[in-house]
Amino acid sequence: MSDARPIRFIRPVSFSPFDIVRGLRELWQYRDLFLTLTVHRIKVRYKQSVLGLAWAILQPLSLMLIYTVIFSVIAKVPSEGVPYSVFAYAALLPWTFFSSSLTNATQGLVSHSQLVTKVYFAREILPLTYVSAALFDFAVATSFLIALFFYYGVHVTSYALYAIPILALLIALATACSLFLSAMQVKFRDIGVAMPLLLQLWMFSTPVVYPLSAVPQRYRGFYILNPLVGVIENFRRVVLQGVEPDYQSLAVSAIVAAILLPLTYLYFKRVEATMADVI
Amino acid sequence: MVDLQLRKVSKKYRIRRDADSNGSILGKLLSLRKRREDFWALRDVSFEVQRAEALGIIGHNGAGKSTILKLLSRITTPTTGDIMINGRLSALIEVGSGFHPELTGRENVYLNGSILGMTRREINKKLDSIVEFAELRQFIDTPVKRYSSGMYVRLGFSIAAHLDPDVLLLDEVLAVGDASFQRKCIQRITELKKNGTTIVFISHDLRAVQQLCDRVILLKKGQIEADGDPAETIGLYQSLSGQLGGPGAGSWGRELTGEAVVTSLTFYDENDNECLTFETSKPMKAVLNYRVDKPLTDVIFEVQFYSQEGRLCSFFSSETLGRLIDVEPGEGSIVFDCSSVGLGPGMYFIDTGIRHRLAPYGIDIDWRRRCMAVRIDYDRHLRDTFYMPYICRHSPPPDKTECLPQQGTKSTKTYKQLV
Repeated sequence: MSDARPIRFIRPVSFSPFDIVRGLRELWQYRDLFLTLTVHRIKVRYKQSVLGLAWAILQPLSLMLIYTVIFSVIAKVPSEGVPYSVFAYAALLPWTFFSSSLTNATQGLVSHSQLVTKVYFAREILPLTYVSAALFDFAVATSFLIALFFYYGVHVTSYALYAIPILALLIALATACSLFLSAMQVKFRDIGVAMPLLLQLWMFSTPVVYPLSAVPQRYRGFYILNPLVGVIENFRRVVLQGVEPDYQSLAVSAIVAAILLPLTYLYFKRVEATMADVI
Repeated sequence: MVDLQLRKVSKKYRIRRDADSNGSILGKLLSLRKRREDFWALRDVSFEVQRAEALGIIGHNGAGKSTILKLLSRITTPTTGDIMINGRLSALIEVGSGFHPELTGRENVYLNGSILGMTRREINKKLDSIVEFAELRQFIDTPVKRYSSGMYVRLGFSIAAHLDPDVLLLDEVLAVGDASFQRKCIQRITELKKNGTTIVFISHDLRAVQQLCDRVILLKKGQIEADGDPAETIGLYQSLSGQLGGPGAGSWGRELTGEAVVTSLTFYDENDNECLTFETSKPMKAVLNYRVDKPLTDVIFEVQFYSQEGRLCSFFSSETLGRLIDVEPGEGSIVFDCSSVGLGPGMYFIDTGIRHRLAPYGIDIDWRRRCMAVRIDYDRHLRDTFYMPYICRHSPPPDKTECLPQQGTKSTKTYKQLV
């Protein structure tokens, strides 16, 4: 630690955009905790489990198998000329990241109520480490996507580089939703109960098991307001299909993320101030 | 140099009243706002703590002590007012709450250390010292779920003790671990204090407060009642505690007859000096004076000791006299002579009562609730909850020739004879 003694003021809750800067600066001070907790999440998840890391792949893989049977063998859903299983997996991969981030992060604060009422630290770390742990799983599960690519002989084009900004958008959206939902969960435990349902609805209103092109044109303007549409659809396009992303839906996702992220962060910081009293 | 400053700090809590839990959902939603009541845990509290000063904060449960602790450690924010903290503040509150059972001791040191605000590099540097202090070298790579509760606490305290804060917040943590580890903790805190750490100590343990602190603040109902010299403030706290009661209503809502009243209760130590602070295993004498208005037969006088939490811990009763007490109008006194106090350390609030021995509803004549408070301090005779009076003798090993039976047959014979 530096020799200069930091002077800190503790004041009643205020609500100013400046809080974002202050919050981020503090978050940076706690970066070590962020890293330690992320590693901790990953370690704990795979400790005393036989399959260990394989679970990161098994989750999207089993969903892929189920959906392939339902939507390819039973119902004939179009898959843009790509084998349906790899088509589904390429979208399930980012979707699983998103949904497991949200599921875990929502419980993040409440399940650590012991800590929250005893020690202070930047509380956003609790939900955020679930997002970063999910990102780790995402990376592991990507290896299976690559294996699928080899198996089906998929040609990856330079458009795949778009995956990087798309992934950044996905992380931003997952972060925003996690911040919001975990803070809401502190006051209303209904959120946690509603999560599985909410996520199921969300998945089917996102082009995971079907392509964006299957959505009728006249609904599409409304449909792409779901910020995940632009992210999931385009991730699959650039990685698997090797074509240009759909800029319109991507732009919508970017705008929504740019608005949501600071807003949810402010909301979180506001709830954080008196969180220990209600949790 | 001021390290800590509170300016007109207030904290309001909303208390939810769960009026009817079986109402309709609509009713619940509508009353979501209504059924809340405001409760001011702190009201316009201002004080400063100088660098290297050790401040003690005392008061009854609910006086606002832990709210101050929570505000200073940033767990919650004040409703109004502001707090200035100069330097790095660490709180030694309920250690080990951040442990994860599946992880090893070492991993938990990193986890808990970073939760408490240490950087990874700092922990790397201090790891050896932390493990050494906790006396857990052999077990550091064992998952903490296999730890005993004592090991758990030691590791938790050891991490916290290595924080090197500028301002240290202390809760009742000193009451953890075994006696030797406790001593180690106190030694560590004294060390920190010597090195110029500012300390805020919030505790029920008045003796520890008096030993450690340079200044004591007494809180009462969320406000500062007194602020100053430790001995004086603690003394005031004890005498204030006596004002809590006054004549109370009878038990189960019965009226008290008031035909006899307790006029005073005085405690004396072994030298017959008036006293309110005792030690476990030492003598205590209580003299209860009473006045009677009309003749009463078969009455009992009682002095009851209640803990801070309101649990009846012990009592003196004239019933043990073994004969009836009939009283004539006038004054009199009862003496309770206790040769060794069995109560453990802490504050005890006193109730006095006069009742008919066969009164069906308990105390029926006079009842003074929480009319006094006595303090029992730590003593080497008591490490845990109960004190049992005993005398220790050391007998040297008996002569071996006497001890061993000379011949098997003989000893059997002796045995048979005995039977």
